[in-house]
Amino acid sequence: MAENTVTTVEQLVANKVAASKEELLKLDSPAWAGAKEYVLEMAATPLANQPSPYIKATRDEKEIGKITKVSMKCLHNGKEVFFYIKWTPKERSTSIGDLNIFPDAVALLFPMKEGIDTPIKEMGKEDAPTNAWYWRADFDNKPKNQVTQGLSTSLYTEKSSVFANSEWKDNEWKVVMGRALQVEEDAVKLAAGGKKPLGIAAWEGAAGERGGVKAFSKEWRDLVLA
Amino acid sequence: MAEVEANKQLSPEEKKRQEELAQQTVAIKDELRKTKRQLAMVLDLNKCIGCQLCSMACKNTWTKKEGREYMWWNTVNTMPGKGTPKDFEKSGGGYKVLFEGKVREPIRGNLPTRKEFGDFWKFNHEEVINSKFGTSVLKATNPDGTAPEWSMNWDEDQGAVGIKYPNSFFFYLPRICNHCTYPPCLDACPRHAIYKREEDGIVLIDQNRCKGYRFCLESCPYKKIYFNFEKLTSQKCIFCYPRIEKGVPNACARQCTGRVRFVDYVDNEQGPVYQLVKKWKVALPLFPKFGTEPNVFYVPPLAPPRLDETGKVDLSKPRIPLKYMVDLFGPEVEQSFKLLQQEMERARDGEKSELMEILMAKRWKKMFGPFDKDPETAV
Ligand code: SF4
Ligand code: SF4
Repeated sequence: MAENTVTTVEQLVANKVAASKEELLKLDSPAWAGAKEYVLEMAATPLANQPSPYIKATRDEKEIGKITKVSMKCLHNGKEVFFYIKWTPKERSTSIGDLNIFPDAVALLFPMKEGIDTPIKEMGKEDAPTNAWYWRADFDNKPKNQVTQGLSTSLYTEKSSVFANSEWKDNEWKVVMGRALQVEEDAVKLAAGGKKPLGIAAWEGAAGERGGVKAFSKEWRDLVLA
Repeated sequence: MAEVEANKQLSPEEKKRQEELAQQTVAIKDELRKTKRQLAMVLDLNKCIGCQLCSMACKNTWTKKEGREYMWWNTVNTMPGKGTPKDFEKSGGGYKVLFEGKVREPIRGNLPTRKEFGDFWKFNHEEVINSKFGTSVLKATNPDGTAPEWSMNWDEDQGAVGIKYPNSFFFYLPRICNHCTYPPCLDACPRHAIYKREEDGIVLIDQNRCKGYRFCLESCPYKKIYFNFEKLTSQKCIFCYPRIEKGVPNACARQCTGRVRFVDYVDNEQGPVYQLVKKWKVALPLFPKFGTEPNVFYVPPLAPPRLDETGKVDLSKPRIPLKYMVDLFGPEVEQSFKLLQQEMERARDGEKSELMEILMAKRWKKMFGPFDKDPETAV
């Protein structure tokens, strides 16, 4: 791991760089070299909260949440924010190749309202929605924009301004996801100089992870847009 | 399970919240399962000739396009056989029923593969038509170019293994979604996308809510759900609800050559379904051991008598082993056979048998209770 790596952080800082969207979407761009790398520990989503009596009865929390950590770098250029996420699944899964195959995925989660307690474990609640940027290996690098107001309520918005680039190399997923700070669709509002809670979730497709059966960052972390 | 361990670290508030959420889920599922009436189908296996007209009627009505091409919401398989998808009986799912039905513990199921269902084959029609007579044969290929190894009714007419002429046997088993009273698919869906219609108990998957997670397919012990690879949602038999709403019977039932299928509300005491299921109790659900309480019922198949080594009729045991019938339709099947035989004899003796009258279905439209309208003229 690089020497600028920090484990289990409370706070992630996205510094401002003078680089274009095209530049920052490149996975080997020198623009990323100086950014600090954070390692986030992940845990299984609580089985008790699964909104399915079937999943609750047939899964074991120990077998959920195969991705135990992801590393992340964040940058912004004043107009757009970028997240460079890396993780190593046991096996790669890129598509819904068959009925019993699920693709790898990663998502960033933000509370949409300021000053109101938004439960991350429930992906928000009725008056405290969350916004997810959902990248999936079979989405052609077109992540979905999703709004959720509590368990089993997530819905994709028609439009998604989230963009991405990705690569599978040396048994590792590298995904850059980004978005303009301000967008038209129903989504989190971001601004340079501000702070936002951030959560992350990841699915190991080869282990049958999908929906609520996933790993997540346990708590909100603070994202600082410097 | 492991959640107990994790619970140790939870604050009292968090524990309380978990309990609240659990209760909420149970309440939502109860609501989605609630019905005022239940529609059901009875299939008389003594009359099914395996013609697949039901399957084709369903295909033409519902599964011809938009990613549904490989689906057979209605299947007809030869029994004993491996079924569709292959060996679905052994794929888990359903419930362990405890305390006389007060508790249903979900059982984990497996996900079959697309090829186990039978894929959407391509045929070399062009090649056959354009080549010299006798130089090429009709061939099917899976979309990935491989040769098919299974399909709906792949083991057609093979029947019982190890039983030789003159005592060999087989029969056909048509299947649709059972529109179960306790559908494990409904319980499994973390999106609450699956529900029973309150007015008639038809089980539907809300296509706007479904995100294609396939927990429903995993949990359905009958494996009667398909995944649409174009729409990325799960889809299944809808009991022809748009027809039902117009008073028209299901396409599979109306097209059936053999007058095999009866359709009606279970509680319509004058109707054929009530008479066969509740009054005469000759129609039974498939695999009651799965604990889902299906709303598709079968009149079990009788067979000609067995012959002994000398070729004489041997009435000491039935041709189709009772054990096999019990496995399929539960222990009640014995009583059902007794009644069927008794009523058949009465009819043969020239006496009137109400049960035989219903099963013979001389008046076709009577088979469908209030759903006796013609699809051409129904509005
Ligand atoms: S047969 Fe399967 S899909 Fe149909 S209601 Fe029952 S569990 Fe659901
Ligand atoms: S149409 Fe009727 S007789 Fe033909 S296979 Fe279907 S159920 Fe059997």
